[in-house]
Amino acid sequence: MSTSSCPAKRAERLVRLYPKAWRARYGEEFFELLAADIADRPRSWRRTADLLRGGLVARCSLFGLCGCALSPLEQVRASLVTLGCSTAVFLLFGAAMWSQLTIGWQWSRPDTAATVVATVVMSVAMFALVILAVLAAAPVLWSLVSRLFRGGDRLGAPTAMFLLGAVVLFVGGRHFGNGWPGTGGHPWSYRGLVPGGLAAFSWASTLSVSSYWAHPAALARFPAAELTWMALSPLSIVCVALGANRIVRRVRLSTAVLRYEVRLARVACLAMLVFLAGAAVWLLYGGPGPRNLFHAGAIDVAGAAVAGLILIVAERATQVARRGVFALAVR
Amino acid sequence: MSHMPKQAKPVEPLASFGRYAGPATLILSSLAEGAKHGYALTKDIESFAGVRLAPGTLYEALARLEAQGLIEALESNDRRRPYRLTAVGASTLRAHLDTQRRVADLGLRRLAGNFGAA
Repeated sequence: MSTSSCPAKRAERLVRLYPKAWRARYGEEFFELLAADIADRPRSWRRTADLLRGGLVARCSLFGLCGCALSPLEQVRASLVTLGCSTAVFLLFGAAMWSQLTIGWQWSRPDTAATVVATVVMSVAMFALVILAVLAAAPVLWSLVSRLFRGGDRLGAPTAMFLLGAVVLFVGGRHFGNGWPGTGGHPWSYRGLVPGGLAAFSWASTLSVSSYWAHPAALARFPAAELTWMALSPLSIVCVALGANRIVRRVRLSTAVLRYEVRLARVACLAMLVFLAGAAVWLLYGGPGPRNLFHAGAIDVAGAAVAGLILIVAERATQVARRGVFALAVR
Repeated sequence: MSHMPKQAKPVEPLASFGRYAGPATLILSSLAEGAKHGYALTKDIESFAGVRLAPGTLYEALARLEAQGLIEALESNDRRRPYRLTAVGASTLRAHLDTQRRVADLGLRRLAGNFGAA
């Protein structure tokens, strides 16, 4: 290798630390700068560290998690997409915990105040999150429908993906929820005081969040249909999330709608925090309850930890989206 | 700079750039002289501030400044794309430097009052 080609080859390798979209915009000029810098200072661990950090920041920027390297509009969109994904994952893990408590309540009232408080708090937060998701989806759906009627391009595939995932999740959740004898035993369930159907649906649609994955012997005794559903349901959730995200990226939302979505995002973060507080009360003080119905296992602790991380991501995305909306308003 | 932009209202203070406020100030100050590409910016900043901006930091700051509309990229025939200050960028830099000058003047006056002139 000649000495003249060495800086160029190293620069080429270092530029790859940055994401493709960033390279498409800055790649060539950045390569020139890097090659010149390497020729000036052949060895520099500070430069390598700086590029590693810069590459990470550029990747986080694409997900709307830091900075304002994107245009404000793209920044808000990216942040909202990340927020949507975060909320979907939060709902997955949250619903798994919540359905365990509500199904337990079908059979017996909890014997500790902590479990009662936790269930009520988590139910209120869960309900709030679902309402917020509906409120957030409404203007996006409106824009999507109006654009589809006008022959909006590149929206057919994500819409189909979203609908496919949603139908599979709904039908599968209903099928496995109805077929399971674990709900409906509570004497109040016929009055609708305990949301038996909803709990069963939540349980069935979050079957994949299970500690059984760590116990292959127990897993092997599951019916084949249930095992298939445990693998298929997360895929359908991914389809829903991916479809929704592509729709949000491609449909043109006005600044007013983006501002509205960011406001909802702030309330959603608060609802997530309330849900986690309820979950913490259950995990720390709940106890196993009668017939071990409210026992918090390792999967619940792990679920709460994941939900906590998701909340941090969602909060960060909300902050970045707020900055983007501010920049849009100033312009 | 031959093409001096008109006065415009600053978007937001550079202080909101957080850890990029320093590099952003240096870049804008360098571009106040005229359009420059990345390597020329690095060399100019090194000469007037004694700081060599690492390539990653330089481009993070450039990307943010461009996204905020404080600088703009110019067309170029070679791979090194030059950047220039926009009208908003010039106003923002002026407002930021005015604030810094007030702080520096105040600090120097207080130093002179309590510790004597240098």
